[in-house]
Amino acid sequence: MKSLRKILFYLALTISALIFVYPFYWMVIGSVSPESEIGNLTFFPDSLTLSSYSQMFDKIPIGGAFINSIIVSLSITIGVLVFGSMIGYALSKLVFKGRDLIFYIIIFTMTLPFQITLIPQYIIMVKFGWIDTYLALIVPYLVNALSIIMFRQYFKTIPDSLIDASRIDGCNELQIIFRILWPNSLPAIVTIGIITFMASWNEVLWPLIVIRDESLMTMPQLVTLFSVGGRADSQLGVKLASAVMLALPIVLAYLFFQKYFIQSMASTGLKE
Amino acid sequence: MINRKKIMPYLLVSPYIVHFLLFVSFPVIFSIILTFHKWNIISPMEYTGTANYIKLFSDKTFFKSIGNTLIFLVIHIPLQIIIALFLAEILNQNIKMRRFFRGAFFLPVIVSGVVVSMLWQQLYGFDTGLMNRVLTAVGLDKVGWLIDPKIAMPSIALMATWKNVGLYIILFLVGLQTVPVQYYEAADLEGASHWQKFFRITLPMINPTIFMVLILSTIGGFSLFIEPYIMTGGGPLNSTVSAVLYIYKQGFFYYHMGYAATLGLFFAFIILAVIIIQKKFIEKNN
Amino acid sequence: MIKKTFIIICLAFISLLNSCGSGKTTGNKLLYWCSNNTDEINFAKVRTEEWNSGNPAHPVKYQPVPEGRSSEEIILAAVVGNTTPDIYSNMWQGDVEAYAQAGVLVALDTLPGFHDFIYNRCDSAVVEEITSHDGHIYQVPWKINPIMLIYNVNIINDLGLNGPPHTYDQFFDASKKFQKDLNGDGYVDQWFGYSEVLVTWWQRFFDFYPLYLAASGGAPLVKDDKAVFNNVYAVEVFRFLQTLYRRKYFAKEQLSARQDPFLAGVIASRFTGPWEIAHAEKFKPKGFQYEYSTMPVPDGHRGPVYTYGDPKNIVIFKSCKDPVSAWNYVKTLIDKEGDLRLLEITNQLPRRKELESDPFFSSYFSKNPKMKIFAEQSKYVRGTDASPVLKEVFDLISQEYEACVVYGQKSPEQAVKDASDAVDLLFIK
Repeated sequence: MKSLRKILFYLALTISALIFVYPFYWMVIGSVSPESEIGNLTFFPDSLTLSSYSQMFDKIPIGGAFINSIIVSLSITIGVLVFGSMIGYALSKLVFKGRDLIFYIIIFTMTLPFQITLIPQYIIMVKFGWIDTYLALIVPYLVNALSIIMFRQYFKTIPDSLIDASRIDGCNELQIIFRILWPNSLPAIVTIGIITFMASWNEVLWPLIVIRDESLMTMPQLVTLFSVGGRADSQLGVKLASAVMLALPIVLAYLFFQKYFIQSMASTGLKE
Repeated sequence: MINRKKIMPYLLVSPYIVHFLLFVSFPVIFSIILTFHKWNIISPMEYTGTANYIKLFSDKTFFKSIGNTLIFLVIHIPLQIIIALFLAEILNQNIKMRRFFRGAFFLPVIVSGVVVSMLWQQLYGFDTGLMNRVLTAVGLDKVGWLIDPKIAMPSIALMATWKNVGLYIILFLVGLQTVPVQYYEAADLEGASHWQKFFRITLPMINPTIFMVLILSTIGGFSLFIEPYIMTGGGPLNSTVSAVLYIYKQGFFYYHMGYAATLGLFFAFIILAVIIIQKKFIEKNN
Repeated sequence: MIKKTFIIICLAFISLLNSCGSGKTTGNKLLYWCSNNTDEINFAKVRTEEWNSGNPAHPVKYQPVPEGRSSEEIILAAVVGNTTPDIYSNMWQGDVEAYAQAGVLVALDTLPGFHDFIYNRCDSAVVEEITSHDGHIYQVPWKINPIMLIYNVNIINDLGLNGPPHTYDQFFDASKKFQKDLNGDGYVDQWFGYSEVLVTWWQRFFDFYPLYLAASGGAPLVKDDKAVFNNVYAVEVFRFLQTLYRRKYFAKEQLSARQDPFLAGVIASRFTGPWEIAHAEKFKPKGFQYEYSTMPVPDGHRGPVYTYGDPKNIVIFKSCKDPVSAWNYVKTLIDKEGDLRLLEITNQLPRRKELESDPFFSSYFSKNPKMKIFAEQSKYVRGTDASPVLKEVFDLISQEYEACVVYGQKSPEQAVKDASDAVDLLFIK
């Protein structure tokens, strides 16, 4: 009986895995199939072609969008790590008036739905003249409440004695953060870094609002507009090619760092 | 002489203070002010009193969009919890290649919603979509996944489940692993069946995880935007317009900034209300 | 030390990011934004070079509109960010009223010589169409692309018809004859005509709106802040389209996802403009013949057949420091020589009166006979009504269109009335 159950389990898992993976396979295969065959495609096309990709590169500046996404996501990730650790450190290890108040404010703002702040944030961008600049994409995301909370939580587990010792050695606060805490907080940094990078890479609503100039669009934004607008000339293969390009960087990163990705996402849940 | 030691903490948290003032408190205050005005960005702001609120309460499409979002949540969340729990429970058994399966399930989670929407738009295609081809291959009728007003939003809910369930499988796995093995061993001694163990031991122990999943997916579900934007544009017959999509259209397509701010404020209250109700429900059951 | 370097790096980074925007500086030259259509860029190049050689004191620099989601978006971003060009030639007529009311456009009728020039080029109906609510004129008509009926000549002959259908009844008759289920799978495989069932507001420019103009002799949709389309013409158009979909003479599936259905013979006709000619000439199969005809009208229709012209107009932004020179330059784009070059380089029609009869242009039309019918149609072309909420009007009409025409859930009378009521709500202060 037990082995029958085991077989059923493996069957359920395999079918499920197929359900989750096959559509991506279809997408990749479709992007290298000739246009006329995509409608009938199941496992393998009769012929392979790269024309969808060459057409896509002709029509939209996907390389530029990729670079934009890299710049934006890296900047945001670095900013979140730097600021998050700075503020998390202050909240966890230093004693000063207003510390708890700030902590509660941070928690409270995490519950605020973004739907309220969307329009005024756009208007701020307009007034600052940041529309169609990288600043609009990066600055609002540099300080992230979740990262502050997570850093604070993690730093609390680092013994005070370590910090006190470095103070005696003459380190100032910033040196403490970056020279002492960071090397001892690699799990937290990797976790927060991955979550932040992924979230900012996939962010599309905000770029749609503040970026109109194509040379500054991020990759998901460009692909969205390509899919929804008329530029693809209703060519399915080209749309699939752009989707593959969009998915590729993150999937590659995922394949290499799978363990860290999954760990990161799991730990956010635990913190709630 | 400024006492460096005393100033330091404030310097360190200053980025947050700036961020809070600029991107949290100012927007909220300005948002409220904006609801009493009419503004299309290029002309000066015009004071209109409560006109936006009156318009909101007679806006059938806005309430339909909220209804659509609720339909989405009501289908998507239970489906997701059941499937995630089911697969997590299986994975929790002594399974080989667990890493491989876990990796496969998690794949849709990391990929951009844009990719998933474009992909499923093709799968759901009436004529040449994979879903309908599978149906006709087994002799069933084609389904108007995205063109039937009654089915379009459920189709999007199904796709959202596919995309996110991997994350919740992971979360449930973590939760399942916190159940002490002794409980199961004790139950085995009493001759409990697999189902009995599941309902009497597992479920109650992972209640916290279930409720966490509930809240996370509710918050996520309320921000439904890019999927209907790409797949249906809100149609057919406005059955897939989510609240955020409608607010986006009012603000960034028609440039009714004041009205869009009003809608956003109202919707934010609804979200907070739902979350508070859920939290109260959780506290009661604990 | 760390802190100082950190701050310096941050400042450097920020200033770098700030400069990576889309900045445009042209010194004292007038800046002209043309569309990014290759032919139109060519046209801009030719006319600008001619102007610059003759007017060195007032140089003009042309530049294609920056790439973006749509040129309307780009212009809005420029207006909001105070980075508008001096002259812009791709302004959709429907957008002008909102910008005029916001005070960002130059009132062209205040410029010397405008009055004579405009009446020389356009007839009074057109001038009235482009006049704003406040009596001023903020745009000058440049070009149109009239929507007409393109049809497959061979199919019409094979069906034994006398020519393309001109009335709704003739259209139904031709559709019935052409409708076939070729492979016996229970689904229709060829349709007489096609229009996308998208609910997007601008899709109506390719079905409802030209048909409405044709049926009503060019009647407006909104006038004096009221909806004025709740009439027998709009109802007839809705009924016509609803019947076409109900009888499956038009396909509800998106045919354009595969290859061009018209060139493939899957559909026999389509509502489209002159841009289709270049595409058809490039990709048509051997022996394929096509012509254009006027939009179908209700049976019993009297008078000329109007249509929608998708007008693009030229505007001068208030940010321009030398509007008089700007206007002088614009004149060279739209005087007779300019209009002829427009035809020759881009194959798009200038919005000029008497185009089909003026001998100045006759050599072009004899070389391009397919364009002749558009020149004749240009007498009976309408743009859009001057209203700052035009997009919403079409959006509301589109929603009723979807409910009535595509899903058959409402009667045409009810749908048109509901659309009209919804539009009236827009204007309530």
